[in-house]
Amino acid sequence: MPTITIFQDDLESLLTVDRGAGRGITVAQLEDWLMLVKGELKGHNPETGELRIELQDSNRPDLWCCEGIARQIRIKQQGRLKPYSFFAKKPKSPHHLIVKPGMEQVRPYIAACMARGYRVTEKGLAQLIQTQEKLADIFGRKRKTVSIGVYQLRNITFPVTYELVKPDDVRFTPLGMETTMTLSEILMVHPKGLEYGPILAVKSLLPILRDAKDQPLSFPPIINSREIGEVRVGDNELFIEVTGTDLAMVILSLNIFAANLADRGASIEPVEIQYPTSTILGKRVKTPQDLGKPKTIQIKTIEQALGQALGETVVKQALESYGYGLSAEKGSVKAKLPPYRHDLMHTIDVVEDVAMSRGYAEFTPVMPAQFTVGGLSAIEQLSDRSRELMVGLGFQEIISNILGSPDQYSGFMRLHGTEWGRTVDVDNVMSLSFSCLRQWMLPSLLRIEAASSRAFYPHRLFEAGDVAIPDGAHELGSRTETVLGALIAHATTHFSEIHSSLDVLFYYLGKEYSLEPVQHPSFLEGRAGRILVSGKPVGVIGEVHPEVLERWQIVMPVVAFDVNLSQLVS
Amino acid sequence: MDISALIDSLHPLEINVLTTLGLRPPETALGSEQLARAAELEPSQLSMAVEWLLAKSLITVQTETVTPIVSLTKIGVEYYQTASPIERVLAAARDATGTGKRLTIPDLQAQGGLDPSDVSKAVGRLKKEGVVLIIQGGCVETTGRQSPTAEALRTLLGEMRDSPKELKSFTEAHRQVIEDFAVKRGNAKEPFRVDDRVARSFTLSPDGVSAAAQLLRQGVVEEVSQLTPDLLKDGSWRQKRFRKYTISLRPPRIGAGKKHAYREFLDTVKAKLVSMGFQEMRGALVETEFWDMDALFMPQFHPARDIHDVYFVKDPSHTTALDEPFLSRVAKVHENGEETGSTGWGYSFDVHRAKRLVLRSQGTAVSARTLAAAPDIPGKYFSIARCFRYDQVDATHATDFFQVEGIVLGEDINFRTLLGLLNLFAREVAQAKEVKFLPAYFPFTEPSVELHVRHPRLGWMELGGAGLFRPEVTLPLGVTVPVIAWGLGLDRMAMVALGIHDIRELFTDNLELIRTTRGLF
Repeated sequence: MPTITIFQDDLESLLTVDRGAGRGITVAQLEDWLMLVKGELKGHNPETGELRIELQDSNRPDLWCCEGIARQIRIKQQGRLKPYSFFAKKPKSPHHLIVKPGMEQVRPYIAACMARGYRVTEKGLAQLIQTQEKLADIFGRKRKTVSIGVYQLRNITFPVTYELVKPDDVRFTPLGMETTMTLSEILMVHPKGLEYGPILAVKSLLPILRDAKDQPLSFPPIINSREIGEVRVGDNELFIEVTGTDLAMVILSLNIFAANLADRGASIEPVEIQYPTSTILGKRVKTPQDLGKPKTIQIKTIEQALGQALGETVVKQALESYGYGLSAEKGSVKAKLPPYRHDLMHTIDVVEDVAMSRGYAEFTPVMPAQFTVGGLSAIEQLSDRSRELMVGLGFQEIISNILGSPDQYSGFMRLHGTEWGRTVDVDNVMSLSFSCLRQWMLPSLLRIEAASSRAFYPHRLFEAGDVAIPDGAHELGSRTETVLGALIAHATTHFSEIHSSLDVLFYYLGKEYSLEPVQHPSFLEGRAGRILVSGKPVGVIGEVHPEVLERWQIVMPVVAFDVNLSQLVS
Repeated sequence: MDISALIDSLHPLEINVLTTLGLRPPETALGSEQLARAAELEPSQLSMAVEWLLAKSLITVQTETVTPIVSLTKIGVEYYQTASPIERVLAAARDATGTGKRLTIPDLQAQGGLDPSDVSKAVGRLKKEGVVLIIQGGCVETTGRQSPTAEALRTLLGEMRDSPKELKSFTEAHRQVIEDFAVKRGNAKEPFRVDDRVARSFTLSPDGVSAAAQLLRQGVVEEVSQLTPDLLKDGSWRQKRFRKYTISLRPPRIGAGKKHAYREFLDTVKAKLVSMGFQEMRGALVETEFWDMDALFMPQFHPARDIHDVYFVKDPSHTTALDEPFLSRVAKVHENGEETGSTGWGYSFDVHRAKRLVLRSQGTAVSARTLAAAPDIPGKYFSIARCFRYDQVDATHATDFFQVEGIVLGEDINFRTLLGLLNLFAREVAQAKEVKFLPAYFPFTEPSVELHVRHPRLGWMELGGAGLFRPEVTLPLGVTVPVIAWGLGLDRMAMVALGIHDIRELFTDNLELIRTTRGLF
């Protein structure tokens, strides 16, 4: 999940409520605190104070920024979250944003607010942009479900309108450009238009955000206007909007932004969104808005999951110092997530927060007492026994990739277009070298032989491992089976040498086998056999065809066998 | 001294000399030449053998005689072929006297090929013998007397022209001449050289006597390089000597029959899990989105279900059937939580999407199927499942890899027993005594824990993740007891233990690397 860059002095100042408390954090202290946010310190530059932190929890986008990390630590230190006043239901906001009909077909939801009184610093701006990018990119699935715009508030006249326009009816100068462009030009020419244009399925009507003077603010979710939508160092009045396809996610993203700016000293003023038809939150939706609903949780449930009797007080304290809003009841707690979180799907999510708030080190490990009998599967036992025997026969074990190329698995083997040459192929191929699964073992062995002509001879190689054999009758379209392949290469090797090895192997596996001549393109005719056990084919053996060796650029005679161990088990 | 051990270490040449001496009556001493003849050895072979035996104190030097031997130098051969300076001076002097010419020392020196020093030495010698006189004016004149030196030199040069002679074979007078005309330090221009020839005779030492006796008792043994069945069958190996090897050399390499180091590691984990009471589960490489994700309460809009995260199967693209009542129950739980007490995800569940076939993306899919198949309660299950991720392959990302996962079901399962289980894994799998539990996030568990351990050799590492399955997962599948879901991240531990830094090397095609990887965990 996301890795962000923050600065130590910025983090320290966000931690400092009464001056001095967060100054001079040590790395050890920081790593300790990062356990509260599932964060891992990936890099630390003591000179610049730059910290690179990876945040693991993909359901906690509020933590993907300096403000969020600082907030979680601060709450722990202070014992509870100081409520944000702007989430209060009243009073009504005097600033309106009107959503015109038709948006529900394209990008239905929007949330917005204003932030005054925080003067944007250079580092603050970098953090603002980073948060915007991480939220839109990861939480917003590359702007598909959520995208965010930040603007200079002083140039905007309310009410703002969110509506659809024809692609060539509106033009403005987008960020990163010098001249005005129409929306269709942006889609065709602007880098962001090319990157995010595909999100807009219908190209005949496109979303636009304009103020009361018809000035375009932005073309969501593509690009902002350069005149209004470019925040600079020194600005102290901002307008923030979030558009998207999921109302809860849109509001949550705005809540996170509002809380972040509030933590930096801004006073947040909500905006009322006026929809043409009712949403799940009504027709008029004031944003930011606390969507959290209290959930009653039995103390016993938490104790059971954690395996430790904690009691009401401890649980309450743990949750409160992790940011929850609480009201206690007998034997249970009524817990509500803070407004910048929306990840409570199940009681078990609260359980983890209790454990994290207290610290995992607070819990003494206990060995599971239950008795169980261990054991290997029948195929693994057979595979292990075969491997032991092959080692005893003087063969060196190898391991190979299972994902390889059709050239190696079929083409080089002269199997192209034959039943033996069929493989399970990848649809979304990244590289031809890794585009199908091996259907037998011999190519894996020849891969080593081809690369190892300088290693002293003789070469005796084997591998036991999985292959995928296409099978239309199987519900997965293929069977995964365990195969043993072996190869001998040296100047005077011949069929009977590998036959002897096979003979010994089958003797000790306790399997009666016979060979019948087979015309297999990978082997010399008249020197290849199908291995039969109880009349059922279980593999092939033979002298590898010189043309196969040529294709692999091997200049040493090779004899080999390939035995399907799965067929021997059943 | 251990005679047998000594005998084993003897070279055939040494054995030859020892037995040659051993066959003679006790204390017989043989000179080098006699010995070489008797043992039928070349002088160089004999001299090697003798030196080795002396070093081993198996023979001793009985006598050592020094004989001076005279031989001609290169100059001596020259004098023999032409004339020595004294002969030439004498001849010139006789000639002058006979013809009445004056002959001075400088005249003699002017004659070709004579050194002034040779001339003065010859004149001095002849004068002393009264053969010549130096008359007034520095002229040389003969007296008519014979020169014993010149005659002796001529005789000696003639006698030694073919071979050197012992000094003592010459007369006293000749010996004096030889001494006067022999190469000495500081005077190499002389016709004779006198060398000392050392002749030693050898006899067996007491140890040598025992060794020779034992060797003779054993009889003559033939050296062979290989013990053969024939040698064993007829017992003739007793008469053979086996050539000794230089055993300190590195041996030739052989290819061993060996398990793959990574599989060996997974085998030990497997054995540990079985010993802890876990039963193995198996699953298919191809799975439906339903079992891979829907049943695990991952909403259909979850980012990990994106086309860029999961491999979809081409043909057939969908399963023909999904088991009821699981499909309807899971669908409802996604939509509104149904009777699980959950709010659900609040979207409309797409059954067609649930039927989509994918390459198994997580081992938890195997656990989900087990939950639906009336598992034992209490019960413990594990699987080592190959999973596929839609990742660019690089040093830290593999496209398919093993996931070690499982579940524990039971009435006594809760957060603390979850921690207890993780403690057990830490101890059994990573031999770790120190552990850390960190809050974690997985879509299907709550609470969730990440397990970090301090491995005794490899240091702190994340060993795995676990949690209690959400009721939204267990209840629709018919399980009413709490269930732990756990997974061990073993790739990193294996890589550190195998000393590799690239995850692709776990499945390397380099046979040399596979052969030489020890895999000590």
